[in-house]
Amino acid sequence: MNALALGANAEVVASDRSCRHCGEAVVTDASEFCCNGCAAAAAWIRDAGLDDYYRLRSADGNRVALEAGDFSAWDRADVQRGHVSETSDGCEITLAVEGLRCAACAWLIDRALLREPGVTSVSVNAVTGRLRLGWKPERVKLSVLLQRLSALGYRPHLAGGVALERERRRERNQLLLRLGVAALATTQAMMFSEALYLDSHGTMPLATRDLFRWLTFLVCTPVVFYSGMPFLAGMARELRLRRPGMDTLAATSILLAYFASLIETLRGGPHVWFDAAAMFVLFLLSARLLERFARLRASARLDLLARAQPALAWRLRESRTEQVPINELAIGDEVRVPADTLVPADGVLLDAHASFDESLLSGESVACEKRVGDTVYAGSIALAQPARLRITGIGTQTRLSQILRLVERAQAQRPALAQTADRIAGVFVVVMFLLALSAFAFWWPLDSGRAFAVALAVLVAACPCALSLAVPAALSAANDALARRGVLVLGADALARLASVDTVLLDKTGTLTCGKPTLMRSEIFDGREQAEVLALAAALERDNRHPLALAFARPVILEIHGQRLHPGLGVEGRHAGHCYRLGRADFACARGDDGALWLSEDGRAIARFQLADPLRSDAAPTMARLRALGLSLQVASGDAEPAVRSACAELGISEFHARQSPEDKLATIRTLQARGRRVLMLGDGINDAPVLAGADVSMAMGQGSALAQRSADILLLGNGLSALPEAIALARRTRRVIRQNFGWALTYNLIAVGIAASGWIHPGWAALGMAGSSLGVTVNALRLSRFESSRA
Amino acid sequence: MRILLVLIPISLVLLGIAIAAFFWAVRRGQFEDLDSAAIDILRDDETDAPPRVEDAD
Repeated sequence: MNALALGANAEVVASDRSCRHCGEAVVTDASEFCCNGCAAAAAWIRDAGLDDYYRLRSADGNRVALEAGDFSAWDRADVQRGHVSETSDGCEITLAVEGLRCAACAWLIDRALLREPGVTSVSVNAVTGRLRLGWKPERVKLSVLLQRLSALGYRPHLAGGVALERERRRERNQLLLRLGVAALATTQAMMFSEALYLDSHGTMPLATRDLFRWLTFLVCTPVVFYSGMPFLAGMARELRLRRPGMDTLAATSILLAYFASLIETLRGGPHVWFDAAAMFVLFLLSARLLERFARLRASARLDLLARAQPALAWRLRESRTEQVPINELAIGDEVRVPADTLVPADGVLLDAHASFDESLLSGESVACEKRVGDTVYAGSIALAQPARLRITGIGTQTRLSQILRLVERAQAQRPALAQTADRIAGVFVVVMFLLALSAFAFWWPLDSGRAFAVALAVLVAACPCALSLAVPAALSAANDALARRGVLVLGADALARLASVDTVLLDKTGTLTCGKPTLMRSEIFDGREQAEVLALAAALERDNRHPLALAFARPVILEIHGQRLHPGLGVEGRHAGHCYRLGRADFACARGDDGALWLSEDGRAIARFQLADPLRSDAAPTMARLRALGLSLQVASGDAEPAVRSACAELGISEFHARQSPEDKLATIRTLQARGRRVLMLGDGINDAPVLAGADVSMAMGQGSALAQRSADILLLGNGLSALPEAIALARRTRRVIRQNFGWALTYNLIAVGIAASGWIHPGWAALGMAGSSLGVTVNALRLSRFESSRA
Repeated sequence: MRILLVLIPISLVLLGIAIAAFFWAVRRGQFEDLDSAAIDILRDDETDAPPRVEDAD
């Protein structure tokens, strides 16, 4: 969260005065706020007595659109179907909320909605960005509540539907319950068996001893069969596939310790190991949960982005506009897409021209100008003006879902490292069973009474508790340390692959550069002041969403009237009786000059602006540190050669490939891989998505497109590259720790098995050694979470 | 040692209560929104908030 928050803060436009609500630059001198929307939101927050939000938050709020949007359609039954469930006291819906930035946002939404009459329950999860809202439909309409949410700057989306959300929650709750039961009952089991351990001389009356054994059995049973269910189910699955792995090993040890203890209890044998079984479940479960939650935390946000869908479309029928749920659209329908909303389906444009933001699809946040008859893709956003479309593709036929499938397929083809680990574990299981059997066979003719105890001691000593903890404990500690630096690891074995990388292939735009055009040079003509010219440009571009307009963003101090946007050309407006134009040279002052923007007053040129996309400030030191880690660096960019060459020269990168299509980039990766290199690909756009999936490890920039993020193994949040060398150093360190852990666990197991097989050790002591070995592995792994970058 | 016959049932009953309470809490969604409550406690009750020194964090 902190990394996210810091990233958001760094984005705030540098200005001496910023909006009290959203932190954007303030336009007029009279106000504390950048716009009326923010002012209204802040006023409401103050009147509601929730002013503490400003004190408690760790990131600025969202800019609030003045027209909060019309949510009346959300009240319709056909929209709510599949998303709203009936509860004992009203209705309930799970929404994906855009704009949740820190814990204070969750708090604000919670308080703000609970204050509305008719709301029965509010629960916001800032990590997963989900809002669960319960309300009484007869007292308040859903649209009113969504209006309130939207007026605070949080935009609601439909989440995955009732069934999916319920399944997600049920799974999470069940894991929590399993862990809770395991923790509570294991403590009791250890308490009862402690009494048995203390009786080292066998002075306890047999009746008391058996009482304690049965009690331990009692509290142990739910741990093994309820909490341990994931392992038992895993074993069943692995055995069905005839591929015994870690789960088989773990579950076998648990079940053997449990049932052997039960038999010993029944026949009054000298020892029981119920506590070992319970502790085993508890340790394994906590390691597994830690690892799982770390992954969940990392992927929830991306998941949300990809699932967020517009709830409704505006269908035009017989010159009437009606709002329909998106799944009622059919091919051939005519729809209207209001400004600033998502396009619901693929279609052809019916208007003369319109512009769309296709950044979700293309990763390039450049406004796309479309003309009549052009194809518009689902998932793009209509900019500035509404557009009319005739639908050509819906649901799974849309380009968006095709790309998603492509990415998923590319991901599925990756050779999984996990399979190797499973094979090793499978061999290990067989070897251990054979060992236990041969120990039994060896002892049977010598001392048939001791044979079973020895065989059991071998199995308990061989119990790969430490072995199965070695990887997850190290990984969760490393993931945690990385998450605190703004690096999210999404792929299960991405860290292991990151550690063995020897070549880094970098994208240029948006990765090495900021991806935002910046004003590099301005030439002023006609004796104008630079400040005046820049102020004019800023005022002209104020409401323009074209990315080039960002280059001029600064506090607006001039009033411009009659502003008009000429798509593909520039903007025009009036100030103090003069007509100003800012845009292409032929548009602004009727002359030819490609590659620069011109500002004209009544057709006379007064300034020429040169825009460029500068390198990130931390790009050069990051490249130096990557080289120091022994990595070879290469750049593959879609840009023209001169731009790539100059950027690479500045960074000291000698190998680069310019004018690369996604296919070219993929081919570059394949060539490198064919030469035995292990390639890390770092990129930001959807153009890169198949490329990212093809690399050995892939990393995406956090501000890149959501789709690229979904196909990446690792996500760099925050606003820079500096975490990259740290991540690689930590990955290598993690690999070292995992090897140490494996080495330690195997050594322990071999020695302990040897001692156990020779009949020297009691199964009870073997169990104790096993717990100690696990502890050592965990402590070793935890060193990773205190990782200092200087020690890299 | 007859005290065991009292203490052991008590410990089992306590265990049962603890597990039941945990189930209740999870089912009621007590673990779903872990952020609002953490913030809530930092908030002053109804009285005017004292001027707070901005600390760098």
